[in-house]
Amino acid sequence: MSDSDSPARSDERISYRGPVKRLLVSPEIGALIGTIVVWAFFWGNGDTFGTAGSTANFLDVAAPLGIMAIAVSLLMIGGEFDLSAGVITGATGVTIALMAKYFTDGGAPLWLAIGAAFILCGCVGWWNGFLVNRTGLPSFIVTLGTFFVIKGANLVFAKRVNDKVNISDIDETEGFKFFKAVFAGENVFENWRFRDQSFIIGGLLCSLLLIAGLIEQSLVRRASRNNTSLLAALVGLVAVGAGVVILHQTDSVAGNTLAGVVGLLGLIVAITGWSGSRFESRQSLSGSLPTQARNLVLAGIVGSSVAAFAGQVFSRDERLEIRPWLPVWLVWVLAMAGALYPIFTLVQDLRNKEIARSGGSITWLVLRLPVISLVTLTLVISVLQLTTVQAVRAVVITFAGVAAAVCFYRARSIAGTISTMWFRNIGVLMGLAFVLVAFALRADSSAPRFRGGIFSVLLIAGALVIASTFVEARHVQRRRFDTKSDQLGQRLVVAGGIIGFVALGQRLLFSDGVFRMSIFWWLFFTIVGSFTLTKTKYGNWIFAVGGNKDAARAVGVPADKVKTALFMATSLMGCFVGTMILMRLNSVQAQQGDGQEFEYIIAAVVGGNLMTGGYGSVIGASLGALIMAISKNGIPAARWNQDGRFIFLGVVLLVAVLVNNYVRKKANEQR
Amino acid sequence: MNTSAPILELQDISKYFGNVTALEGISTKVFAGQVTCVLGDNGAGKSTFIKIISGLHKPSKGKYMFEGQEVFFESPREARSRGIATVYQDLAVAPLMSVWRNFFLGSEPVKHFGPIKRIDAKFARETTKTEMLKLGIDVRDIDQPVGTMSGGERQSVAIARAVYYGAKVLILDEPTSALGVRQTDLVLGFVRKAAERGLGVILITHNPQHALPVGDRFLLLNRGQSLGEFEKRELTLERLIELMSGRVRAS
Repeated sequence: MSDSDSPARSDERISYRGPVKRLLVSPEIGALIGTIVVWAFFWGNGDTFGTAGSTANFLDVAAPLGIMAIAVSLLMIGGEFDLSAGVITGATGVTIALMAKYFTDGGAPLWLAIGAAFILCGCVGWWNGFLVNRTGLPSFIVTLGTFFVIKGANLVFAKRVNDKVNISDIDETEGFKFFKAVFAGENVFENWRFRDQSFIIGGLLCSLLLIAGLIEQSLVRRASRNNTSLLAALVGLVAVGAGVVILHQTDSVAGNTLAGVVGLLGLIVAITGWSGSRFESRQSLSGSLPTQARNLVLAGIVGSSVAAFAGQVFSRDERLEIRPWLPVWLVWVLAMAGALYPIFTLVQDLRNKEIARSGGSITWLVLRLPVISLVTLTLVISVLQLTTVQAVRAVVITFAGVAAAVCFYRARSIAGTISTMWFRNIGVLMGLAFVLVAFALRADSSAPRFRGGIFSVLLIAGALVIASTFVEARHVQRRRFDTKSDQLGQRLVVAGGIIGFVALGQRLLFSDGVFRMSIFWWLFFTIVGSFTLTKTKYGNWIFAVGGNKDAARAVGVPADKVKTALFMATSLMGCFVGTMILMRLNSVQAQQGDGQEFEYIIAAVVGGNLMTGGYGSVIGASLGALIMAISKNGIPAARWNQDGRFIFLGVVLLVAVLVNNYVRKKANEQR
Repeated sequence: MNTSAPILELQDISKYFGNVTALEGISTKVFAGQVTCVLGDNGAGKSTFIKIISGLHKPSKGKYMFEGQEVFFESPREARSRGIATVYQDLAVAPLMSVWRNFFLGSEPVKHFGPIKRIDAKFARETTKTEMLKLGIDVRDIDQPVGTMSGGERQSVAIARAVYYGAKVLILDEPTSALGVRQTDLVLGFVRKAAERGLGVILITHNPQHALPVGDRFLLLNRGQSLGEFEKRELTLERLIELMSGRVRAS
């Protein structure tokens, strides 16, 4: 990076970055991974989690949080905070409710009350911005002041006018029906006949488009098409289709097995055939497998075996109980071990620096990851008695499985630079490990979740691992730009994304879940916010004002106006959410929204927004809100101790920020 | 070479802050296509000088001529709109934004899409790339955050931006003071390139080694007063250092 005074050589100095690497530099990456991990974890854990009804529930929590997180993240990118963002939702509720009930004799019509609230909130936002700009005080202090003033005002007015802090029964006001429909309308659809079919077909189409798009962006085009491979790809596709149809038609074990085998093999053939027909092959390498990779493979085998058979240790009958499932003395032993283990490894590492660098001894490798995570988890869970035996089992399986996958993956990448055969073998082994875990889990459990859903997901994942191994073993990674392929690949990914979204959306909407307008608004504001931030000049100004205010001003950006506008946007968004909640609940507590501002900030930070400003993403903030809502609803669904939610949130916040920083650093180093 | 009229001229400029004399009777001429170096040790009045030219301060006495007319700038913005661009050492860029976003910051090219205006990112990327190339800087990745560039390259973004927006006079405030040897060479190269493209460049520095190779004319300041103006051929490095350290008076 440092010196580039090389003469006019052009672009070949930057190698092309594949789609995965590009995703890694984006600020949303931590939140995206987090959302998937947290959702998958609770889906595998909570029996009621993942149904349309519970999805509607957590989206209902996520929507107001997400809408606020969008505004707060924009403000944060602009370099400021708003601690009054939470209380403003309460102020909105109180204003509207009081006006609707007590303004003049009969109460004001609702449109007037809502309009007044919006004007009031706009003024609060303007005042915040004005004070910050004029005094140069940190916005933390200024908005903290605003927060207390509004909090006090809420209580005073609610009690003075209404005699108590709870103002209810707004629905008698003129115009309530209309505003309820706009802000909190419920969309309940009857079941649609082809709901599940559309979901499956859409999902399939989405996956195929995504895979094709990713391959298109990663590999080098061949000069001419290879027709044999293309034929194989078509046969594979037909097999996938046949598998899905058979699966749909039959209920017998034999039929399902047949369908599964045909479909999965078809998937592998389709993917490898397609890439073989269209993309350049590479020379195969033949070296011997280094010790480190061999050790990693062994570690992977041990890890996946643990994941497969960990369930056997736990008694079936106690699965749903919350109890200290270890004798007290063992807890103490574990606690001591947990405290001593890091010290032990540290000393070890310091003493054998060389061994550690070259990969360490085999026992060390096999035991390290699972042991550390298991000890820590057992400690937390047994000391705090947070959760059920079933959840502990799931945690053990998840961690052992993830550790195994990581070991396999690393072994595969080491082998990839040395030997094509070993690369392929390790990849296939990794895929088979997925299959093993899938069958073991299925045999071990009675819940339909494990027997059906997780089983299929693991099988498909295994097939995809094998397919990707074949593709990567055979083809050259693209290192140059290829505008045509990039564009096509991006379009395929976008098309796949849209189809998948629609398929999932209709699956959720046409169900017994109650989805509210808030979700639509959340989506709407995410799109508008993201567009504004990344595609318009105002977004450019927001980044600049947060990144280097003086520089922005020096080139003519109206920095103060941008900041004021951001403060006003935050307050107005608070007003929007306040109205939404009021219409939803039909009543308001004067203390509503107190302390919520920190949740907004957490959501924004988890979403990859930099607290010091100048960097971040609206989509990330939305995903951050989603993570928080999922854990809020997932924890009771998994029958965990509800108070443990805060521990969970704190850990999620720290981990997300660390992951964000780490990934950003790594990604930028590789530029 | 100096047959044409100067693009910017100061006549007998003085600046007082209360009873402190910051500048006393400074005169100089800046020609298009030339680099005018303003040299002086710390406290010589360089920054007051630059602030007067860039419109931040008004001179207490004397005449400020731009393109043959006397001007009275009320603000830096006014000076900028007339074509006097200042690149401050640390004010140049927002480090976490990409090169092209920084380049077009404040004057983003927009494309209309119905009532919606969006940044024309393709145009911005290409223009940034070619404009930087014209100064001899080949940016590897136009999407990389400016913060990941070296100090010299960062300066270059600001310089290229000023040139692109039609600056006639470019003021550079100590562009090399925080840079290493190679980076300094790089930036001085951009300075030369900018002058060759027809700008009048004013380079403020306290380092005679940096000034001598690129400068055409030299204004020496010491304790708020001019030690004289010199053409390049009248000077050697030794003489310049002697003059700057105030050991000899100019003859």
